[in-house]
Amino acid sequence: MEQQVITELKQLLGRQYVMDRLEDRICYSFDATFRDFPPDVVVKPGSVEEVAAIVKLAGQYNIPVTARGAATGLSGGSVPVRGGISLVLTRLNRIIEIDAANRVAVVEAGVITEDFVNAVNKAGLFYPPDPASAKTSTIGGNIAECAGGPRGVKYGITRDYVLGLEVVLPDGSIIEAGNRFDSEMAGPDWGMLFVGSEGTLGIVTKAYLRLVDKPQAKQTLLAIFNSLDDAARTVSGMIAAGTIPTTLEIMDNQTICAVEDYLQAGLPVKAEAILLIEVDGNAVSISTQAEHVMKACRQWGATEIQVASTPADSDKLWRARKAISPACGKINPTKISEDATVPRSQIPAMVRRLREIAQKYDLKMVIFGHAGDGNLHPNILSNKHNHQEMERVEQAVEELFKAALDLGGTLSGEHGIGYMKAPFLKWETGETGFAAGQKLKAAVDPQGVLNPGKLFTA
Amino acid sequence: MDNKYDEWQQQLVKCIRCGTCRSVCPVFQASDNENTTARGKVKLLEAVSEGKLALTPELQTRMSKCLLCKACVTGCPSGVKTDELFLSARRVLAAANGLPLAKRLAFTGLTYRRLFDLGLRTGAVFQNIVFKDAPDGIGKMARVSLPGAGLSQRRIIPPLATVPLRARLPETSRVVSPQARVAFYTGCMLNYVYPAAGEAIVKLLKAHNVEVVLPSRQSCCGTPAFTAGDYRVGRYLAEENVKILAAGNYDAVITGCASCGAALKHEYGFIIEDPELKKAWQLLAGKVQDITQFIADTGIKQDLRAVKAKITYHDPCHLVRGMGVAKEPRQLLAAIPGAEFVEMKDAAKCCGAGGTFSMTYYDVARTINDWKLDNAAATGAAILATGCSACRMHIADGLGQRRSPMQVVHTAEIMARAYGLE
Ligand SMILES: Cc1cc2nc3c(=O)[nH]c(=O)nc-3n(C[C@H](O)[C@H](O)[C@H](O)COP(=O)(O)OP(=O)(O)OC[C@H]3O[C@@H](n4cnc5c(N)ncnc54)[C@H](O)[C@@H]3O)c2cc1C
Ligand code: SF4
Ligand code: SF4
Repeated sequence: MEQQVITELKQLLGRQYVMDRLEDRICYSFDATFRDFPPDVVVKPGSVEEVAAIVKLAGQYNIPVTARGAATGLSGGSVPVRGGISLVLTRLNRIIEIDAANRVAVVEAGVITEDFVNAVNKAGLFYPPDPASAKTSTIGGNIAECAGGPRGVKYGITRDYVLGLEVVLPDGSIIEAGNRFDSEMAGPDWGMLFVGSEGTLGIVTKAYLRLVDKPQAKQTLLAIFNSLDDAARTVSGMIAAGTIPTTLEIMDNQTICAVEDYLQAGLPVKAEAILLIEVDGNAVSISTQAEHVMKACRQWGATEIQVASTPADSDKLWRARKAISPACGKINPTKISEDATVPRSQIPAMVRRLREIAQKYDLKMVIFGHAGDGNLHPNILSNKHNHQEMERVEQAVEELFKAALDLGGTLSGEHGIGYMKAPFLKWETGETGFAAGQKLKAAVDPQGVLNPGKLFTA
Repeated sequence: MDNKYDEWQQQLVKCIRCGTCRSVCPVFQASDNENTTARGKVKLLEAVSEGKLALTPELQTRMSKCLLCKACVTGCPSGVKTDELFLSARRVLAAANGLPLAKRLAFTGLTYRRLFDLGLRTGAVFQNIVFKDAPDGIGKMARVSLPGAGLSQRRIIPPLATVPLRARLPETSRVVSPQARVAFYTGCMLNYVYPAAGEAIVKLLKAHNVEVVLPSRQSCCGTPAFTAGDYRVGRYLAEENVKILAAGNYDAVITGCASCGAALKHEYGFIIEDPELKKAWQLLAGKVQDITQFIADTGIKQDLRAVKAKITYHDPCHLVRGMGVAKEPRQLLAAIPGAEFVEMKDAAKCCGAGGTFSMTYYDVARTINDWKLDNAAATGAAILATGCSACRMHIADGLGQRRSPMQVVHTAEIMARAYGLE
């Protein structure tokens, strides 16, 4: 990159917010995926005007700009694969307003998800999207990836809470798409264009987010199944019967064994699947819901149901789910985490296909995920220094994508496309759909400044 | 050197770059820069091990921006041993680039126990030339800025003891019918800066019928040296201490300073290389106990006097994560009649001292310390108890700057007060 650009960036932001030493560029070369590309320069703007000025400058010099929240992305969205500018948004970290009367919050993009959730809680309200990375991830990153989480089955995902956005467009202009009103719509819902766009269409600087009532109570249950089909049928059956739990997490036998090996908590290692179920609502509805859940579980063949009556009990039930990550780390260091999603009814078929794939390529794989959404997380446990194995991993991942699409599913339930799945996106959209996506990108960002190498621009 | 990197890689490969360490790292929270997080530093070391980055002074600076508070170690879902990695990296970097002259001199001084002792004693006399008393008699402030010593003019430090702890007490303090015989490893800070806390520890042990030996030839535990990457000095001190402590036949080795304790109990394990001494250390490590742990395990003597005060507690990193001691000091404090124990928010979060960190990066260290002080103040406590002299010094500095009336004491001191042992 030309020195001139760096000089201008320093004039714009102040020296301490521009970093171009190799040691620092390396620290901004990666996210939670496993490839690295160092940016030429790292910048940390402190206001929307500065963001706009950076994007404008990048346009003048034709330099790629890759937005970065906390870089917890699992599809590689914030990795600057073509170099250029890494635009770090964490200084935009103000929670501007929590308007309880109108149930809307105004926040800057760099606010850490959990900080926001806590502030909303304090105001007596509830912001449901709950990616497992909430302690670290930013609201901007959540919006750009349309993050989901265990609560998605009942409460929906990030897009269901975005009312409006302040966005810096690729030409450096600032717009507001949508607004802060829950029931107002002027024109098409084009704010939604930026949700899930992974920083390829605009830089989100501020968001108007919808808030809801805090549930008064919750109850956690754990159901154990001898057969995966029974577990899956329970999921579809329960939802079809009208009970929508807050969370409905599934763990397959290999996951159970891995966690048991790690925790020694007496998990049922012979079970083919367990479901972790949570219901919430008011005190009356919660017991009815819990009864329905238990009825469905029994009806579809649960061999055992555990019910938590205290918060401590419920934490105990959640322990297994929360221990998956470290348990996997103990088996093999490199964890390739996918989020292929299929219709709920296809979960058993998908799990079977995944097992076959793991066997075919001789790979260790655990399968768990948000069963309520059909959003499975097959995790391949490997070692990135074993090149032969990594080749097999790549082939397996490709086949896994095919399997999800064959079963009427999607490449990504929540982690996005990024650079990782971009080569396969056409399988899902078809040629025509892909071309339309490319046209859209070209219309909004003719120069291709924003996050090249991702989504439709692979 | 090459196989050194192989060793690193086994840890490096475990990092799944999930970013959890961002949510726990105090330095990151204060500076919002990925180059201070565990994963940033892991990535840098990976680049070094892959030959993409040299052992530059720039890298050394970045590796030094770490409190070694171990919050990332505890928080890491993949179990990356970042503490060991960073120590090892500092060692390699110090070997490649050397250390600043002031540090080098100081660490070499540490190896000459008698010289060091003399230096610090003369220091007590001469310190008034360099330092003036801070307002309200809370300590000393530098008269002139001493950047080489890492003392900014604003910083309030406690005076050096005119008579160090080990000169105040006999080498062996006997009791009538001893139930145990222990060595009290004082380390430097209790000996030279907070002798009253050291005395309280001895009194407390005696009150529990324990015979206490203060081995006079003990050296500095070496933490300041090996955390800065000076393994030559660090190892020398570790070996000296192990020799001296292993020679005596003690039921336990008592520490009253978190960093000394964690060094003796854990860090020596990857510093000492001599196989014989390593074996001796392993036996010794099993006997190392923090004073609060020892008292709680022995059984707290019950005839306590009332201390009417609200007390809160700060967990030193090296006590809670280094030695796994958290419930014991609380048990002790809760046993004091009349006292009201109030837990502060984030009690186990680092106070920002981090040994020499607070000297080099005073402003960052202050920001982190301010969070601690705010949380402590929110409890309304009059007394803050803790078990690490470095934390105590840093917190006292912060309180002094704020003109806060809150008192910082060693947990043993307030216990001694409750036993009427003052
Ligand atoms: C342990 C772990 C658990 C996870 N669990 C979940 C989960 O349960 N559900 C889920 O959905 N995801 C999950 N993820 C994935 C990831 O946390 C989410 O995708 C998250 O939303 C990313 O946020 P971030 O701030 O880290 O964004 P980054 O990774 O920094 O960026 C993600 C993408 O957004 C773009 N971007 C970032 N900020 C902006 C902005 N302000 N404007 C425009 N574009 C922007 C980037 O260019 C990139 O393309 C998990 C990840 C980890 C490591
Ligand atoms: S928490 Fe551990 S695994 Fe996660 S990024 Fe930090 S060091 Fe790596
Ligand atoms: S040891 Fe503490 S300061 Fe150092 S990287 Fe880990 S959390 Fe941050």
